[in-house]
Amino acid sequence: MRRRSSLPVTFLVPTLAILLVLSMVPTLYAIVIALQNRELSMTGYSWVWFSNFADLFLDRRFLNAVWVSVKWEIVTVVATMAVAIGLGVLMFEAASPRLRNFYCLLFIIPVLLPRVSAAFVWKFAYHPLYGIATYPYRLVTGGLIFDPLSKPATALFAVASVDVWQWGLFFAVIVLKLLETLPPQPIEAARLDHAKRWQIHAYVTLPMLKAPLISLMFVKMIESLRSFDLIYVMTRGGPGVATETLDMYAFSQGFIESGKVSYASAMAVLMMIATVITFTMLWKRVQA
Amino acid sequence: MKTYRLAASLGAAFVLTASVSTAALAQAPVCPAPVKVLAQPRDGLTLLEDSKDEFKKLSGASFQIDYLNENDRRAKSRADASTVGNYNVYYVDEANVALFASSGWIAPLTDYYPAEYDFADFDPGRQKVATYDGKVWFAPLTGGGDLMVYRKDVLEAAGIQPPKTLEELVADVAKLNDPDKGMYGIALRGARGSGANVWRWMPFFKAYGGKWFDGDKPAFNSDAAVKATETYLKLFKDSAPGTQTGSWDESTGAFLSGQVAILVESTPLSGMAVDPKTSQVVGKVGFLPPPSPLPGGGYGHGLAIGTKANADDASKKCAGLFIAWATSKENEKRRLDAHQFGELNRTSILSSKEFADIYGADLGKALADTGKVTAVNFWQDPRWPDLGDRWGIILEELVTGTRTDVKGGLNELEAYANELVKKK
Repeated sequence: MRRRSSLPVTFLVPTLAILLVLSMVPTLYAIVIALQNRELSMTGYSWVWFSNFADLFLDRRFLNAVWVSVKWEIVTVVATMAVAIGLGVLMFEAASPRLRNFYCLLFIIPVLLPRVSAAFVWKFAYHPLYGIATYPYRLVTGGLIFDPLSKPATALFAVASVDVWQWGLFFAVIVLKLLETLPPQPIEAARLDHAKRWQIHAYVTLPMLKAPLISLMFVKMIESLRSFDLIYVMTRGGPGVATETLDMYAFSQGFIESGKVSYASAMAVLMMIATVITFTMLWKRVQA
Repeated sequence: MKTYRLAASLGAAFVLTASVSTAALAQAPVCPAPVKVLAQPRDGLTLLEDSKDEFKKLSGASFQIDYLNENDRRAKSRADASTVGNYNVYYVDEANVALFASSGWIAPLTDYYPAEYDFADFDPGRQKVATYDGKVWFAPLTGGGDLMVYRKDVLEAAGIQPPKTLEELVADVAKLNDPDKGMYGIALRGARGSGANVWRWMPFFKAYGGKWFDGDKPAFNSDAAVKATETYLKLFKDSAPGTQTGSWDESTGAFLSGQVAILVESTPLSGMAVDPKTSQVVGKVGFLPPPSPLPGGGYGHGLAIGTKANADDASKKCAGLFIAWATSKENEKRRLDAHQFGELNRTSILSSKEFADIYGADLGKALADTGKVTAVNFWQDPRWPDLGDRWGIILEELVTGTRTDVKGGLNELEAYANELVKKK
């Protein structure tokens, strides 16, 4: 009879225990606080059970934040994947191996920048009078002013473009490396059948990369949920509430404006539930 | 003889050693560990860091200042003071001193402020702002009211006299606005916050006779608030680009770079406007009190003793000594020598010959005149930041056009104010 080794248990138990403590303690604490009425400026508190959750659905800023978060997820994930696939394929098709290495190095730099630094750099770049990003508009229009961060219609896209600049370029490098690992035979076969370049990628290479591309998309979806620092530095949720995502609004309620930590925790709990449900459904759909 | 001399020497050495030890015991270090300070960037504090050794000599320990910009500093200090209490000294301001004091997050300053540092020398207006519920809570680092700062050359070229009334200001701003030539009529603050857009809006509210509360009943939802907001939005049409979602930095930056004709801003701008290091409009700037009936927005920022990190009296004394030293006459003189106008708070410095030599008589007169119309425009209550920030969001929505109903915004604020009152 083969003797079972205790090695996996020895390694797994402490790690899992630490992970469990690190993830479960704050989660359970957040749930407990969400059922109370704690405020930073009040020493006492009482149990209000689901009152915070009920209030959230009557709060126009919360409903707006849900909508902004959904828009943010869609815009950043779709644009990042589009830029990554587009640039990855372009480099694969048009650049020599030496040039590809140069582009890879160049495209990795934005994601290495700390988010806050990137946000500050782009905030200045979008300045209506001095910004380098608004300069072409001033040049073409003879000095007309364009302030993308203070226009409700453009603010979300302006901030999202920074997110895409960081992650889309980085993912393009990953897509290029994935394309380079593909076996050449199916591509050569398609070429022999006189398939056009776009057809080769649309019907051969990208379908072959379906699994890693979906994984990349999931990584970006999770990453997009944590865009607080970018939005906080660039717009603080403004103009008005045009870029106020759920995490931004929760922080506002918890620490900037009212010190309502229970109300903010209720938002965090709802976000957690919504995220778990959405990701589980998406994952199952992809697996099927 | 030799033995006698040796005995005398030993005796003298003993007496000397004993007296030195006694003196050392009497002057035991006031601070056992470095003082941790949470502040927002100020030139005066940066300058203070050059004198760390002086404080170490005085107290026995050094200090460490962590800087965050205004809104972040407010959020972080509130979170820190109410939970872990990592900082011995907090940078507080007129808007949150009531909250910090009533929550017990800071200690009454004068109980721990050494008498020899002469607290009474601070400008009386700033002492008033630092006082809540009859006690002084912070020592001022900056403060004052508002001044109308204008471009003399631009107004002269347009044949316009500096406006003396609010109506004249509104009319002149429209006339002076000329974006094609890179000149904007005014620079206001659009970014959300009780200390940002609401701060600049409040003088208009008060000028039209607005009142925040009548006892416990909200009284701000009035014609005065509607008129003030409409005037503010009208002026915003001629405000420099970038100010719609900007605050002090953006509006003063636009003026100092020569793109704004008139603005009414907090008094430190006047010092920046005459300093070639910060201003491109030196020699072209005039100063006057805000056009009547706009009151100046009285304000004050300063250092306060945190209670959580300073659990015992000895720690509070150490924090008190740091604050007294940081705001001392000697350090304020250093700030004057470095031409840090906005960092001056003591009457002995403001009335000194050196001050008049550096900044001129005009500015001195304007400062004296504006002192007469400086007022406390905000609701002096711990719940003010909560209410003010809520109005800040609505006002930012109105400024940027994501909402247009002024009355609807005020109704929403009134409902929120009623909730705040109920919770008291």
